[in-house]
Amino acid sequence: MRPLENRWYPYALLAPAFLVLVVVSLVPFLFAMYLSFHQINFGRIGDFAGWSNYSRLMENERTWNSLWVAAKFILIAFPLQFILGLGGALLLNKRVWGRSVILPLLFIPTMMAPIVVGLVWKVMFAGSWGLLSYNIVERFGFLQGTSVFSSPDFALLALALVDVWQWTPFMMLAFFAGLQALPVSPYRAAAVDGATPMQMFFRLTLPLMAPLMVVIGMLRFIDAFKVFDTIYTLTAGGPGISTEVPSLLAYRMSFEQWRIGESAAFAVLVWIGFFVLCSLFYHLAKKKLNAF
Amino acid sequence: MTMHKAKSKTMLAGLIAAAASFCYAAHLHAQDWSYAEAAKPYAGTTIRVLDEITPLQETMRKLVPDFVEKTGIQVEYELLSHGDVINRGQADLFSGRGHYDAIMLHGLQLGPLLAAKVLQPIDELQKNTALTNPELGLDDLIEPAYESLVNHSGQQFGFLTWNYNQIYWARADLLNHPEEQAAFQTRYGYPLAPAETMQQMRDIAEFFTRKKGETLAGETLRDDFYGIVLEGIPGGTTFTTVWEVFMNNWGGGVFDADGKPRLDTPENIAALQFWADLWKFAPPGQAEYSLIDVPTVMGNGLAAQSIAFSDFVLGVDRPGGGAYAGKFVYGGIPVNAENPAIRSAGGEPSLMALSSHSKNQEATYLFMQWMVDKDTQARLMEAGGGGVPIRHSSFDLDVMREASRQSLYKAMAASLQHVQAKPKTPSFFEIDNTMGPLVQQVGIGRLTAAEALKEGQRKVLSICDSCLLTE
Repeated sequence: MRPLENRWYPYALLAPAFLVLVVVSLVPFLFAMYLSFHQINFGRIGDFAGWSNYSRLMENERTWNSLWVAAKFILIAFPLQFILGLGGALLLNKRVWGRSVILPLLFIPTMMAPIVVGLVWKVMFAGSWGLLSYNIVERFGFLQGTSVFSSPDFALLALALVDVWQWTPFMMLAFFAGLQALPVSPYRAAAVDGATPMQMFFRLTLPLMAPLMVVIGMLRFIDAFKVFDTIYTLTAGGPGISTEVPSLLAYRMSFEQWRIGESAAFAVLVWIGFFVLCSLFYHLAKKKLNAF
Repeated sequence: MTMHKAKSKTMLAGLIAAAASFCYAAHLHAQDWSYAEAAKPYAGTTIRVLDEITPLQETMRKLVPDFVEKTGIQVEYELLSHGDVINRGQADLFSGRGHYDAIMLHGLQLGPLLAAKVLQPIDELQKNTALTNPELGLDDLIEPAYESLVNHSGQQFGFLTWNYNQIYWARADLLNHPEEQAAFQTRYGYPLAPAETMQQMRDIAEFFTRKKGETLAGETLRDDFYGIVLEGIPGGTTFTTVWEVFMNNWGGGVFDADGKPRLDTPENIAALQFWADLWKFAPPGQAEYSLIDVPTVMGNGLAAQSIAFSDFVLGVDRPGGGAYAGKFVYGGIPVNAENPAIRSAGGEPSLMALSSHSKNQEATYLFMQWMVDKDTQARLMEAGGGGVPIRHSSFDLDVMREASRQSLYKAMAASLQHVQAKPKTPSFFEIDNTMGPLVQQVGIGRLTAAEALKEGQRKVLSICDSCLLTE
């Protein structure tokens, strides 16, 4: 191969993926940015609006409420998924009995469409007629005068648990795959040196798994922030607006209220927020954990 | 004097002759007019129509091939769920895509769509004698729903096509039980019967709310039983029910005559408080209940009474509709005994509207007419074994006089006397999205009625201070 061809070859290989990314991601984002600076009257692009969509969005208390709800949702769901996922993966890695049966079953919640997950849990926890509500929660008086998804104190917690139910198996499988790929020699050396299992876990497993944990954790974090279908199905953002997350608010702004300019501004701000957060996370993980 | 008399007689004769010939011509035109004839220039055209999926439209879908056969106009009659028909229909209209020629619109959607000028008035089409059925009989369409729905700014935007309405719905087997009747009489001092007033509805709700182990109609309850069930989800039609069924009947409302929000009035506070007090007698999950869950709860025998959309009742109170089918009784929306002069019922009159982007307006207009035609409506009621009439005359059909459903149809007729389309406001969805969660919080006891409405007034004022669409 001649030197010139050699120079372009990697770019040629990257081009199709890059092109797809530009079309499905960059173009809509740039368009959303354009919309966010314009007056949009019932879907029709009007005059340049400056920062007015952004300022209206900032003044809207529901914007801040939705971000706070998302933060609480992530703070409940994400650590649980992470810990349970890692714990489950460590167990599976111990060659537990029935692993070949358990592994395919773990795919089921993850493979289910979120809207189906929402419906399944609606059947479980719907006030007065849900399978678990009727037979357990109300029968044994766990909640007096309210139901799981009607209670401002429990609704978000229940939604986070639904998310845990759906995504913990994914974390478990990903971590299990990582554990399976770890080199054996450091463990042999540690065993020869008389390291305890705890020492091996903290000194070997965690550092070796760090890059994978960071990537999986980041993906899940972003995904948890975007949760929509289950909340839409189970509480519609209620009671009140106690479970209204940014995706649900943006949906309402766009498709119910037709405040396209504001919802585009919301999308842009969320993107910028995530860009900054992920960049920081990336650099930290690279520097401190040698993750990338 | 004689000459003058003769002249008068001649003029009178002339007038009579002219009137007679006009009537004859009109009669001839009425006799001549047919969908087949009117559709000849448009035969082979394909129109796309978007409608909502309920048992009513599913029945209509069975009749559409008759129109196709009669006119040669091909109809793609697409049915989508409530949310989808709103979102997809509005997206099609706002975007100018023009995929659909006609779209079913709930009255509440008209404000934004009229403001965006994406609906085609039908006045010019109505003037076209070749297209308009002279015997359409629009005076037979039920008022005040029809007038309040289709007209704006001196123009007409369609016909009343669906007439969703809310009714009072109760368990007849409980209300007629002798022991319950005696106990109720003793406790409240008046006979137990379907509620005619809001206050009676509240008493009945309180009376029938029982814990498991207590007796209901002579049987020991294995589970808690509730006196009432209402919609309580923050979206859906929770707020519009509070507005139309409670606030309006208390003499309140959302807007004043100038279209300014007037939410925090004493009347509205009293109405919202009354509605929230009913939650004490409702299932604990009511805050999750949408307009679909309410009939589910009633159909499963978990509550004694409700206010619900009558078209959903049709799916529950029918042979094979569940253990309690045939055990229900219905009524119009109860009156507020403290203010009986004011009557309002909840409902959602809806129309099939012509898209201003449609390229097949004449053919679509013919279909719109055909949908509300007296003959089509009669066949719709017959094919569906009943239904929700848009015409007064539909109540006289044999199928509507069927004994087992008499109470339901009388209830619909009673409610429909007071069902109006929502005021046309471009900000309807924003207002609804704001108020739904607030009233729900009153229901679950997190806010008082006064707090919620004060907050609502502030928020709605920030959306619009003159909210109604101007002429």
